[in-house]
Amino acid sequence: MTAAVPICAIVPPYVLDRLAEAGHEAAVHSLALDAAHRAARLSPPPPTGGAPGLNRVISDADHSQRLPGRTVRTEGRPAVSDASVNHAYDGLGATFALYADAFGRHSIDDHDLRLDATVHYGRKYDNAFWNGHQMVFGDGDGEIFGDFTACIDVIGHELTHGVTQFTAGLDYQDQPGALNESVSDVFGSLVKQYALHQGAADADWLIGAGLLAPGIQGVALRSMKAPGTAYDDPRLGKDPQPAHMRDYVHTAEDNGGVHINSGIPNHAFYLLATALGGSAWERAGRIWYDALTGRTLPADADFTAFARATVAAAKARYPGRSSIADTVTASWAQVGISPG
Amino acid sequence: MDTMRIQVTRTGGFAGIVRHAELDTAERTDAPHVHALAREAVAGGLRAPSYGVPDGFHYEITVDGRTVYCADPKLTDSQRELVSLVLREGA
Repeated sequence: MTAAVPICAIVPPYVLDRLAEAGHEAAVHSLALDAAHRAARLSPPPPTGGAPGLNRVISDADHSQRLPGRTVRTEGRPAVSDASVNHAYDGLGATFALYADAFGRHSIDDHDLRLDATVHYGRKYDNAFWNGHQMVFGDGDGEIFGDFTACIDVIGHELTHGVTQFTAGLDYQDQPGALNESVSDVFGSLVKQYALHQGAADADWLIGAGLLAPGIQGVALRSMKAPGTAYDDPRLGKDPQPAHMRDYVHTAEDNGGVHINSGIPNHAFYLLATALGGSAWERAGRIWYDALTGRTLPADADFTAFARATVAAAKARYPGRSSIADTVTASWAQVGISPG
Repeated sequence: MDTMRIQVTRTGGFAGIVRHAELDTAERTDAPHVHALAREAVAGGLRAPSYGVPDGFHYEITVDGRTVYCADPKLTDSQRELVSLVLREGA
């Protein structure tokens, strides 16, 4: 089942127009995507009941930081008046759908784990996270960030931290940490592409498009297509992501720059998906999923170890079609990593 | 002590954007309350950064030169109140 999901509608079109006029290529893409979203809203509402094994429980923290909060919507129940609740519900469904339909995975743990999420966590809380058991969403402060439930790629990103926890268990620091982050961006983007029926060539490859509040100079938090170009704002600073190993950032902050250096494997995935063409979840996504879940990747895998795992996964998944594995190798080479 | 200098650095989070703020209690009418909060927050903190959860915020709290660490979602009530106060009203 593919849920027709509400996707970020926070950045008003005029802001995108202004960015687009100023020459932001990403804004032009975002505008095109926005048009697609508006068209999508014209289609009939999605069924509220889920696929087999899908079981969602959405709770409201009522601006406290106590979890899980009071239950406000359970599986199969109709939409409620609170948009954050419905966005979380639909985003969990869209993430479940990608993993089930594209990879045959039965929920986050592959054993039909119930998907729990809490909305309205804290006051003006600028974050969303997976706490090891459930999703947590803040409302954003309204000045820099909007509601974190508004982007399905953010929801897919966070739930993928759960998938990684149940599979490769990548350490959350330095290169394995940046891989952990990158894998979440990859599958978060694929959740959005799958929900919008987009091919690799049509996707915006942005993470958190629409999450930035109006007035912030940026189109998203990260760009897999062009790492380092998602935002440049007096209050936020400039997107610090590198796209190549020569620009790898050595820092003690952010667990060794896990949200910064993830730009390198992110870009390798983008290069592979666009080189292979078609739907990114079908081949590029399948290769990444096989590498992540193949039980051979150690928790302390660095970029090169992960690159090797993807090449091995491509050979195993597509025997007799060595051009696919060669394309995987070439994509890593373009970001300065030799799977060897 | 009449005044306290409280610094908070927040790292991590989905966006991975660092925020830093500093508060001096000299001019504050609620200084006794803030001092109590800060003492409790430091008492409940860790001496080294903790792992936390993926995309969770990590906090470094420094009170008059002494630094402790904590991470979402396992903050004590005083740590929660202190970091939100300093990030909101600090410079």
